[in-house]
Amino acid sequence: AGYQITQQRVPIAVDGSLSYSLCIDNKMSQMVTKTVRIKQIQLEQDSGKSLHDDTRCQTLVDLNRAGVGLMEVVMEPDMCCGEEAAAAVRELQLILQTLGSSQAVMAEGQLRVDANVSVHHPGEPYGVRTEVKNINSIRFLAKAVDYEIQRQIEELENGGTILNETRAFDSKLGCTVPMRDKEGKQDYRFMPEPNLPPLILYDAKSLPANMNHQQVINIDWIQERLPDLPSMKREKLVEQYGILPEHSFTLLNEDGLAEFFESVVKQTQMKPKKVIGWILNDLLSYLKQRSLTVKESPVSSFLLADLLNLLEKKEISSTAAKQVLAELWKGEGKTPLEIVKEQKLQLLQDQKELEQICQAVIDGQENEVIMMVLG
Amino acid sequence: CPERRLRSQVSAALKEGRVTPTELCQRCLALIRSTKFLNAYITVAEETALKQAEESEERYKRGQPLGILDGIPIAVKDNFNTAGIETTCASNMLKGYISPYNATVVQKLLDHGAVLLGKTNLDEFAMGSGSTDGVFGPVRNPWSYSKQYKEKFVPKSHSEDEESNWVITGGSSGGSAAAVSSFTCFAALGSDTGGSTRNPAAHCGVVGLKPTYGLISRHGLIPLVNSMDVPGILTRCVDDAAVLLGSLAGHDPKDSTTIQDDFKPFELPNLADVSKLSIGIPKEYHAPGLSSEILALWLKAADLFKNAGAKVVEVSLPHTRYSIVCYHVLCTAEVASNMARFDGLEYGHRSDRKDSTESMYAATRREGFNDVVRGRILSGNYFLLKQNYEKYFVKAQKVRRLIADDFVKVFRSGVDVLLTPTTLSDAAPYMEFIQEDNRTRSAQDDILTQAANMAGLPAINVPTALSERGLPVGLQFIGRSFQEKQLLTVAKWFEKQVQFPVIQLEEVKRHDNGVFQHQKSASFS
Repeated sequence: AGYQITQQRVPIAVDGSLSYSLCIDNKMSQMVTKTVRIKQIQLEQDSGKSLHDDTRCQTLVDLNRAGVGLMEVVMEPDMCCGEEAAAAVRELQLILQTLGSSQAVMAEGQLRVDANVSVHHPGEPYGVRTEVKNINSIRFLAKAVDYEIQRQIEELENGGTILNETRAFDSKLGCTVPMRDKEGKQDYRFMPEPNLPPLILYDAKSLPANMNHQQVINIDWIQERLPDLPSMKREKLVEQYGILPEHSFTLLNEDGLAEFFESVVKQTQMKPKKVIGWILNDLLSYLKQRSLTVKESPVSSFLLADLLNLLEKKEISSTAAKQVLAELWKGEGKTPLEIVKEQKLQLLQDQKELEQICQAVIDGQENEVIMMVLG
Repeated sequence: CPERRLRSQVSAALKEGRVTPTELCQRCLALIRSTKFLNAYITVAEETALKQAEESEERYKRGQPLGILDGIPIAVKDNFNTAGIETTCASNMLKGYISPYNATVVQKLLDHGAVLLGKTNLDEFAMGSGSTDGVFGPVRNPWSYSKQYKEKFVPKSHSEDEESNWVITGGSSGGSAAAVSSFTCFAALGSDTGGSTRNPAAHCGVVGLKPTYGLISRHGLIPLVNSMDVPGILTRCVDDAAVLLGSLAGHDPKDSTTIQDDFKPFELPNLADVSKLSIGIPKEYHAPGLSSEILALWLKAADLFKNAGAKVVEVSLPHTRYSIVCYHVLCTAEVASNMARFDGLEYGHRSDRKDSTESMYAATRREGFNDVVRGRILSGNYFLLKQNYEKYFVKAQKVRRLIADDFVKVFRSGVDVLLTPTTLSDAAPYMEFIQEDNRTRSAQDDILTQAANMAGLPAINVPTALSERGLPVGLQFIGRSFQEKQLLTVAKWFEKQVQFPVIQLEEVKRHDNGVFQHQKSASFS
C-alpha cells in the first residue's frame, strides 16, 4: 500500500553471474578473471527523500527522483576484499554505461552501492554481517570494505561480537560508524499494483505466432541487438591491435581512452603496439598528474598522431619526441612540427653531413680514438 | 424519444443552423441557473463553455463540424481531471485544486467539439450510493419536483411538505444523472465502481452505461478501485450512449489496462426480430429487500421479451451472495493504497501542523477526508496487514474469480444478455436515506450492480417505468465482455418498447423553445 512500487514476489531475473578482471599485482602485468554470482535483479520505483533541518525544525521533501525506475542487483557474498568488490562494481558500471541503462556515476547517486560484510574462519559458516551504506565512489567502496573487514576481525579477536546492524562509511575519517536505527520492522501492507498488467517475457521459442512484436518482450530479439559489452570490446581490441589484455583493460577503464587510442592509430603509421605505450605511459600519466579526463586533454589525438608520425619517419628521436610532448602539454596551440623547428630537435637526415660531423668529432678526439681502436 | 436524441434533433438542428452552439450553450447555462436548487453542479465553467460554443459555431459556419458531438453541451463528474477547471471530488482534500491536464475521456470529448458546461456533484471521492456525502451537500433528484411525483405525493404528516421530502438521486454519480435528467446537458460522464453510474441513472430515469473494463481509458479519472473503476456514460437515450461510447473507447497508451485491439465505433441497428435472442434471468438477483413493484416490473419485462419471440431462461449465478462482502474487502484495500497519495505535499489541502512530517500527514488527512473515506482507508489497511493478507485479500480475489466464472458459464451456455433489476426500490426521500450510514446503504444498494464490476462486464440501466410514487424505475442489462454493440442493441429495442415518460419539470418548460419538444408518451406500466 502507499506509493512505492517494488517487485516483491517475483523478481525479473534470478541466478546470474558477473565476470570481472583483477590485477594480481600492482604492476598491471597479470590479470585474472573472477566471477560473482548474482542472486536476483528486481525492478523498483525510487522514492522521494526527506532532508531534516534540525536548526530550523523543518523537513524538506525532495520528490525529484520519485517514480524513477530502479534496478536492484543483489550479489552473493563471493568477493573477499575491497579490491574485488571495487573491480566487480566497476565492471558493472561499465556494462550499465555501455547498455545505456544508466550513467552509473556513484557520486551523483545514479549507482548506489551497499556493501554487506562479514568475516569467518576458513571452513566455518559465514559470520554475522553488517550493511555499510553511504559509499560515494568505487575507491571509497574498496576502503569501506577493507576497513570493515579489519574492524570485524579486531572486534572478534578481542572477544567481542558483531551486531547485525547498518553502518555508514565516513569518507573523511575512512571508517564505518553505526547508523541511526531505522524504526522497527514496518508492515508495508503490500498489494499487487492493479495498473500494471503482468509482464510476460518470451524468447524466440515461446513467442506465440501472430503476436505484434511491438506489444511483447522477446528476450532473444533484445539479445541480438545488444551492443558489445566491455569484455567483448576488450577482446576485440586485443585481437585487432595486438595489444596485451592488461592494456586493453586500462583502455576501457578510462572514459574515452579507447576511442582516443583508436583515433591515434587511424591517423598514424606507427604500429598500435608502439602507440599503446605512448597512450598508457605518457598520455595517461600526464592526465592523472593533472587530474584531467581524456576529454579535457590539451593534447588531441590529432596532435599526438602528428608527433608519432614524426617519430616514425625518423625525423626526430624518441627523446626529442618526449620533449615535444612536454611542450604540447602547455596547450599553446603549436603543432609538433613547429615545436621541433623552434627547439631545433630535428634529426639530421643527410648521410654526408652526418659523416662530416662524426669525422670532426673523431678528428677532435684523436687520442681517445687511438685508445679505443687499440683496446 | 425525439426530444432526447442527439442525431435526429439537436445535431441536425445544429447542422441546419436552426439553432447555434452558442444559443444551445446559453440555454443550458440558464437552465443550470434556474435548477440550482438541485445542487447537481459543483463548478459551472460558463466562460470556457461559451468560448467552446463560439469555436464550434465557427466550424459549423465553415461547414466543417468535427462530428456529431460538435457543439453539444456535456457535463463531467467532478472526479475527472479537467485542465484549468477545479476538480474537487467533493472533498476538502482537493478544494481549490486545478489540474494541469485533462483526463483522456475529457480530452476526447473536447477534441470532438463537445462543450464542457461544468463539473457535477458526487459522494466524496465517489464513495457512496446516494450522492449525499460530499462536502458541497447532497444532490436532489429532479424528479422530486416533477409533476409526476407531486401528483402522487401523499404527506405522511402535517409537517411534511414537498420541499423537505425531496428524494435522492442515488450515487455516486448523482450530479451527472441529475444534470442529464433535468435537461441541463445532453450527456454526462460518471464513473462506475460498484454501480455508481447505473444506480443514479435508475433513480433519475436516464440511461446509464457501464462499459467493459479496459474499453475506455481511466487516465485522469481519480481512482477509487483501479481494478474495477470505469468511466460511465449518462444520456437520455440508448442511441446517444452509443455515440458517446464511439468517441471515448479505444486504447490509451497512458492507461496500461486498456485493451490494445482497435475499437470501431458503431451505429445501433433497429432490432425488429428478437427471436434469435436469449435473455437470462439470474434467480439470485431476486435479492432480499427487492420491492414488489420492481419485481413485478422485472417479470413483466421478461414477458415482453418472451412474447416478442425471444428465448427467456432462468439462470443461476451461485456466488452472487458473496459478492458484496468480497467487494468490500477488495475495494477498501485498493482505496487504502490509492488514497495514500493525498498527503498534503504536492497538491490539495495541507494542514498547518508543522511539528513533523508524520503529524502533518495525519492532520492533513483527518482534515481533508470525511468519515466515509477514512473508514474505508482504515478497513483496507487492516485487510492488507501481513497477518490478514491471505485470509482476506487473497481469499477475496479467489472469490472474485468465482463470481466472474459464474458469468462466463452462463454466457457460454448460450445466453446473450442478462436482465436484472438495477435497484431494490425507487429513490428514497433524503430524510429517510440518511437514517442509515453510508456503509450500510452502500452494502444494500450495490447488491444488484457491483458483480458486473467484479467481472469487468458491460452493463446498462434503461429507464423502464414510473413507480407508484411517480418516480423512475430502471432495469439492468448485463452483456458479454466487449460486446457493447449487442448489449446496446437489445437495450435500444427494450427502450422503444417501454416508452418511458418524459419528466415534466416547470423549469424545463420555461426554457423550452422547441428544442426540447414535449411529447406525451405512453408509459410502460
